Amino acid sequence: MLFFSFFKTLVDQEVTVELKNDIELKGTLKSVDQFLNLKLDNISCSNESRYPHLSSVRNIFIRGSTVRYVYLDKNMVDINLLQDAARREAMSAKK
Amino acid sequence: MSFFGFDSSGPKKGRRSGRSKDEKGGQPLDFDETYQGFGEHAREEDDYLNSETFGDAADVGTDFDFGYGASEYAAPTASHDAYVDHSRSYASAATSGPAVAAVPFGQPAQAVEEHLDFTPMESLWTNQPVHQLQQPQFVSMEEIERQQQQQQQQRQMGMLPQQHAYMSMPPPQHIATMGYGFPGQPFVSGAPQMTGAPQFQDRNVDFGVQAVPPPPPQSVGPRPMSSSDMPPMQYQQMSPGFEQVGQQQSHVPVPAPVQANKISEPHHAPQQVFSSSTAPSALSPVVHQAQTQTSPVIEATMSPKRPSQQPLSPHGNYRRGTSPRVNQGPPYYQSMNEPFAKGTRRNSMRKPQEHLSEEDWKRLQVRQAKVDKILKHSGVMTPRDKDFITRYQLSQIVTDDPYNEDFYFQVYKIIQRGGVVGESNKGLIARAYLEHSGHRLGGRYKRADVALQRMQSQVEKAVTVAKERPQKNKEISEASKEGVLGKISASMNSKAPRRQLQIPTKMEESDETTSSAIDDVAQCLQGVDISTSSSKLRRRSSYALRSLDQSAVLTRSGGRKFVLSLIETVYSEVLELEAQLRSGKTIDSSGLWEALHIFDDAFEVSPFISILSFDKGVKIMPRIINFLGKEQKLKLLSCFFSELSHLNIVVTSSYRTNPNPTGAQLRKIELFQSIFLKIIVSFLSSSAEFMEVMGLLLALVKNNNVSFITTSKIGLNLITVLISRAALIKQDVNRGSILSSSEISSWNEIYDKLFTALETRLSLIFPPSEYTQKIVSITNPQPAPSVPGTPLAATFTKPSFYDSSYIWQFLASLALSGKLNHQRIIIDEVRDEIFGTISKAEEFTKSAAVEDQPMALYQRDKLYQDLNLFLNVMGLVARDGEISELK
Repeated sequence: MLFFSFFKTLVDQEVTVELKNDIELKGTLKSVDQFLNLKLDNISCSNESRYPHLSSVRNIFIRGSTVRYVYLDKNMVDINLLQDAARREAMSAKK
Repeated sequence: MSFFGFDSSGPKKGRRSGRSKDEKGGQPLDFDETYQGFGEHAREEDDYLNSETFGDAADVGTDFDFGYGASEYAAPTASHDAYVDHSRSYASAATSGPAVAAVPFGQPAQAVEEHLDFTPMESLWTNQPVHQLQQPQFVSMEEIERQQQQQQQQRQMGMLPQQHAYMSMPPPQHIATMGYGFPGQPFVSGAPQMTGAPQFQDRNVDFGVQAVPPPPPQSVGPRPMSSSDMPPMQYQQMSPGFEQVGQQQSHVPVPAPVQANKISEPHHAPQQVFSSSTAPSALSPVVHQAQTQTSPVIEATMSPKRPSQQPLSPHGNYRRGTSPRVNQGPPYYQSMNEPFAKGTRRNSMRKPQEHLSEEDWKRLQVRQAKVDKILKHSGVMTPRDKDFITRYQLSQIVTDDPYNEDFYFQVYKIIQRGGVVGESNKGLIARAYLEHSGHRLGGRYKRADVALQRMQSQVEKAVTVAKERPQKNKEISEASKEGVLGKISASMNSKAPRRQLQIPTKMEESDETTSSAIDDVAQCLQGVDISTSSSKLRRRSSYALRSLDQSAVLTRSGGRKFVLSLIETVYSEVLELEAQLRSGKTIDSSGLWEALHIFDDAFEVSPFISILSFDKGVKIMPRIINFLGKEQKLKLLSCFFSELSHLNIVVTSSYRTNPNPTGAQLRKIELFQSIFLKIIVSFLSSSAEFMEVMGLLLALVKNNNVSFITTSKIGLNLITVLISRAALIKQDVNRGSILSSSEISSWNEIYDKLFTALETRLSLIFPPSEYTQKIVSITNPQPAPSVPGTPLAATFTKPSFYDSSYIWQFLASLALSGKLNHQRIIIDEVRDEIFGTISKAEEFTKSAAVEDQPMALYQRDKLYQDLNLFLNVMGLVARDGEISELK
């Protein structure tokens, strides 16, 4: 649940999602679920000339399993808290 | 025809074995191998409708159209046949059609409803027991009336069981939503052959459909038998929207007029609009017939709003009274269809009745095509289905213990909001889910509160589900939902994702090794102890050289691995304690204290000191301190000061042991200063008694080579903190507690000790110029010399010289506590440094170029300021290259 919990804090922030088919989409994260499916709004494709069919798409639902990376702004992450959360996760996994 | 491609025509042995022969290379199959023995089970009950559900034998392929696509237009005959054949009750209803038209309105349909054989498969969709009972096949008129009245009464009291089964809503909403998901009537229309009356009826039930879309006149296909009784059923399903219609037009005796009225009055309800958009063409064959057949009646009833023609209307009237909300509070899930319906649908509904020009007609067709496309799959799921899935999804998301399972999000939100705990977690989830799930808030009337309330109750339920999850996993109930919502894995992939790295946990093994290592160490120590009585002291006195090697220090405190695992233990202890604090439990920090291994004699160097060698060990310190009592803090600090020479940070910040510091090391030093030094200062200034400060100082002086420690920045800082605090308390005496003579004498003794350790080595606390230059070059990387014009601003803002104020602070506090002869010795020893600093300061202004003048002035002032910190203590002041008496 750590990643789900983490991504929930990014809702309404701008992120860049790189898919496993190399498409890179920048947009506002609107929603995320436990499978890390993402809903993006106001998307723009970073290499639009390659994927012209995305130029008319404004919002998109991305299946979580197709995501390769999510690029974040450094300021969106509370690293210390994330460390704590990761430790908690590991602790609860051990139990 | 079959559902999901199920071959319902029974085992076709010949064909199957033929295929498998091909697959298995012609080898004949043994029956016992292939047969799984399904037939040996007792025949399941209630499966006598399988043929209805799955069809008989027709091959329909696998390309199913769950919308109301063209296939349904294409197959009216087939569906008609099936309709006639498959069920007694429909047949009876259908055959009694003509009679129905004659009897008072509503009742025959009630009969039909009661006779429905395709009993709601409630169990498929919820865990609720099935509420609807099988009714007798034929019911007398009186019985029907009685039942109706009972139902009304129940409804009036809000006790209709189905409502409870559906969802627990506040009463007003109950009424409003009633029509949308009659629990007893689930969505059965998947069976293609049921396009006829049953499906029609079911759709009505599920969606509160009562209005029927305008049939394009040309697509009419007469179907005499069932046409006349359809609309009564429609009415009979009494969705709220329909009641509303009733309000407007009272009761209409003949089925077709109902339709006609609706067509002529498209403005009535959102419900109507909704329903018309849900299942239009599924209905259309029937509708078309109805229209063609009864077209004269349509003409007649086109004149709207006739008063009630039928005596039997308590039913309708009553409900009119009870469901006032129908008009004003459409549930939120309607909103999807709403905007569209307001515009297009309404018009298109009216149009066919009028005379249209060719062009208009074409336009309408295009629009209709679009509309059909949009609406093709709308209504495939009932709102109830959606709610069920919503609830199921929620149950995966919500937890009973948010701080445990959703730690990052919860704490992050609290931090963001500035420590204020806002809404309850459940409310938050409800809101978030509502906002993000595509439900638009409140629908047409923006009844956000209603929607939120609904969602909150859903969350509430989901939490209950989540609580029960562990037990449920064991049961079959979880598996029974498989297929309904895709594959549900019991291992909860979303919670415990598959790991890319599988690290074997050899806990026992590693425990053994460490414990044996500890034993070894202990044995060694014992051997040493036997041979030399004061091993500890001796050990400590020989620190300096051995401490240079960080790994050696780590080894002597249990090894790097051990220390790192110790840090993790400390972290988990702290996290545990913090969780206890949040939940308001009493805190037991003994585990934490154990984990710190303070004064653990099993190790040559306390593991606590080694913990501080790692950044994460330093970072956790403030949180550790929070959970320690004063006694424990004092112990911790005295341990810290006793073994200061082993402290990694002292070693790296000393110019003697680490003449070439790196940027990373400097950052480490800074981190240590900003975290641990702060802790010490605040502890000393807030809660430490004089004697406690003395104790710490003594621990430092006794167990360490003080002159080595003073060559490091951190060490010097620490000593400064201690002696200046002691001096401050001593000066504070007049304000309150007067130091006893014993305290003063012990202070003098300790100071003498400290001073003796430093005497003749005081000048060594000044790092050599090569060292300071290195640090300056690391902390202030010089801009490229090729661009001489630009760096001015940069160098002005960043004074690029070694900040030696910490040294002067130390000397100042040392001199402050010392007697006159101490001060004289200090001055004697550092005289060169004093004058060196003064000349350096003067040189800055002399040598600096004109454009660097402000920078040089600043540097000069800074140097004087630091120097005077020390000189002022002795009543002197350095100014403009000279030292004079402080006035």
